[in-house]
Amino acid sequence: MTRFVHRLTISIYSITILTLFIILGFNGFSFYILPIEERFFHPLYSLLKPSGILGHGLGIIGTLLIIIGVFSYMARKRAKRFSRIGSMKYWLEFHIFLCALGPVLILYHTSFKFGGIVSVSFWSLIAVVVSGIAGRFIYLQIPHSIEGRILSLQEVLDMKEEMITAFKNNYNIDISDLNSLNFKLFETKINTKNFAKGEYQKVKRLIINQRKLVRRIDRLDQMQNVFKYWHVAHLPFALITLIIMIVHVVVVLALGYKWIF
Amino acid sequence: MKFVRLLTLVSTILLGSWNNYGQISPGELSKAHQFLEGVGNCTKCHDLGNKVTREKCLDCHKPIKIEIDQKRGLHSTSALLTKDCFICHNEHHGRNFKMLKFDTATFNHSNTGFELKGSHTKKGCEVCHKSAFIKDTELKKNNSTYLGLNRECLSCHEDFHKGKMAANCLNCHGFDTFKKAAGFDHNTTKFPLAGKHKTVSCEKCHISNALNSNNESRYYGLQFTNCASCHKDVHEDKFGQDCKKCHTEESFHTLKANSNFDHNNTDFKLYGKHQMVDCKKCHKTNLIDKIKSDHCFDCHVDYHQSEFRKDGLSPDCDQCHTTNGFIESTYSIEKHNLLKFSLDGAHMATPCSECHKLTEQWKFTKTGRFCLDCHKDIHQGLIQEHYYPQQECLKCHTTESWKSIKFDHSETTFKLTGAHAKTLCRNCHFNIGEGDIIVQKFRGLSTSCLDCHKNIHGTQFEINGKTDCLRCHSSESWNNLVFNHDSARFKLDGAHKNVKCMKCHKQNTNVTEPTIMYKTNMLNCSDCHK
Repeated sequence: MTRFVHRLTISIYSITILTLFIILGFNGFSFYILPIEERFFHPLYSLLKPSGILGHGLGIIGTLLIIIGVFSYMARKRAKRFSRIGSMKYWLEFHIFLCALGPVLILYHTSFKFGGIVSVSFWSLIAVVVSGIAGRFIYLQIPHSIEGRILSLQEVLDMKEEMITAFKNNYNIDISDLNSLNFKLFETKINTKNFAKGEYQKVKRLIINQRKLVRRIDRLDQMQNVFKYWHVAHLPFALITLIIMIVHVVVVLALGYKWIF
Repeated sequence: MKFVRLLTLVSTILLGSWNNYGQISPGELSKAHQFLEGVGNCTKCHDLGNKVTREKCLDCHKPIKIEIDQKRGLHSTSALLTKDCFICHNEHHGRNFKMLKFDTATFNHSNTGFELKGSHTKKGCEVCHKSAFIKDTELKKNNSTYLGLNRECLSCHEDFHKGKMAANCLNCHGFDTFKKAAGFDHNTTKFPLAGKHKTVSCEKCHISNALNSNNESRYYGLQFTNCASCHKDVHEDKFGQDCKKCHTEESFHTLKANSNFDHNNTDFKLYGKHQMVDCKKCHKTNLIDKIKSDHCFDCHVDYHQSEFRKDGLSPDCDQCHTTNGFIESTYSIEKHNLLKFSLDGAHMATPCSECHKLTEQWKFTKTGRFCLDCHKDIHQGLIQEHYYPQQECLKCHTTESWKSIKFDHSETTFKLTGAHAKTLCRNCHFNIGEGDIIVQKFRGLSTSCLDCHKNIHGTQFEINGKTDCLRCHSSESWNNLVFNHDSARFKLDGAHKNVKCMKCHKQNTNVTEPTIMYKTNMLNCSDCHK
């Protein structure tokens, strides 16, 4: 996947989530802002209520999106059979897309009515989403292979040495002392070499990447600890959401609310 | 180990949340159903696999079920009969949710089987839907129910008639107002309404019964065989009790065209033109109010504007007029002769209007009583004043006729004798002047015969230039001579007595005016004889 296609995909993901959030919010704004006691008398009640044609549908579709997003990602991550299908990075992005879009739909399914045990599921879901967003940033701080595998400290240090050597040989610049605080110094060094414009940009990017790598190496131990704890938050809440959602679905089906079926 | 820790964490959170929320309800139940809160109660309303069914609702809401079974009330209408209860009465919207909330302004009450009409549409729901009107003891306890009312009027309204009338109020009363029994047809009673009786308010006849503490009107047991049962006999029985002989039910003041009413039975009998006058001319307000009728001017305007007022009192019109018409008058000559100017002679035959002239209106009292107030003095300045002092016509004339003269001519220097006494005045005093104008001549007339008479004898008999006719003629007649031939120079005797005058006194034709010659100087025989 080229950088452009990747960026386009990310944009489509974001726009889809944002657009759906705005459209659904705008469409039902007058209904959602009403107190619970008055909603029944709103003209959109039968459409937007949690058991309404649209409300119920949003719940079902949102749930399915989450299930697909979670389990497809888990399968790619854990099952050897799927370990070679696509890059983990893209799968993670797809996981994030579906697991962000799904809660948006479920949010409108709840019609902002949070009560009973179902709300535990919902708030857990929110916790999962929020922790997912946080995890996404933590994840970025930990070096990964192209496939998304977390690299060991030695692998990362080797990468750093390789780059120092490459710079020495190719550009005669010593970047062994590069860290997050002295980037300006190396920028001045590059300027004195009188590289062609294209070459200059390439070298500068390599220097920036090297600085990121040095910074991540510095924080690696710390980030790996944080990531360990993050899993403790993300996974249990996801599980709680799943369990209560199953209870919710079972009860609803038992009482005869089958949407369009 | 890791999995065990995870499971413990999840279980802790789940149990904790279960304690907090304790249910899987989508929201709190309303106050009416709050006793059904809790997981164990879901199926009391919800049918497994079949949402919420009518049957479940009606199992509890028995009064509704009874209404539906009896096919009455809002819930038994075709629109609602097969509808799920939760379509209108939803739940899980919080404690304060009003399950019975509906727009009372637009609610079609006809759907309940009891259409609101008239005054019912102006009342608030709570006026009727209150426990006081509900018979069912269970429903009566519920202050907010709309059930339990009966369609019978008396289930809400007090029986105004205290059971004396039919129980179905609608037989007579409408929904707009109780007082106007619009649906009641009085013609179905023994006293059908006609004329003004149709528009008169019920209370006029059905007056409140003073004996009744509720001030209830009487609608039964009223006497109506006679008009006087309700109406006052303003005629005080003068015309009997059968009012309909004269009056109609349209109006007391409108009399029947074929009415037997005789005005002459009243104190004011109608004569003459009064018989033709429209009743309203006199009875301006109504026919029964007493009218003052002692004098004509109680009704009529005094045309003469108190002209005949005397000592502050005007005589009534009937002194001169009758009811046959104002123009005709009964004022007689005899009455006129009681006045200062009595009528006699031609005045008796003279129309009143000849003296009492119409100016702005007829005047009677200020007409003068002297001749010249009416007549013209044609002799003014032509007759000496001492012959008719103060231009008193009656000195010479009478009221009989202008031509009838009673003047004593002997008052003058020329006493009338003989034929003069028989001669008309005009023969001596009136001359025909130029243009056939009569010229009066009373002044300056002499006693000489020749001032009036013509001298046909010329100057034959003049003595000192004057001819005295009376020496030969008398005033009796021209031909009645006082002349004696024997006193003349030639006495007649013998055969001369029998000779005709003309034999001796020939006509002289030699002059312009031929005259008979009486002085002939033929005194000798030979003057005549041969």
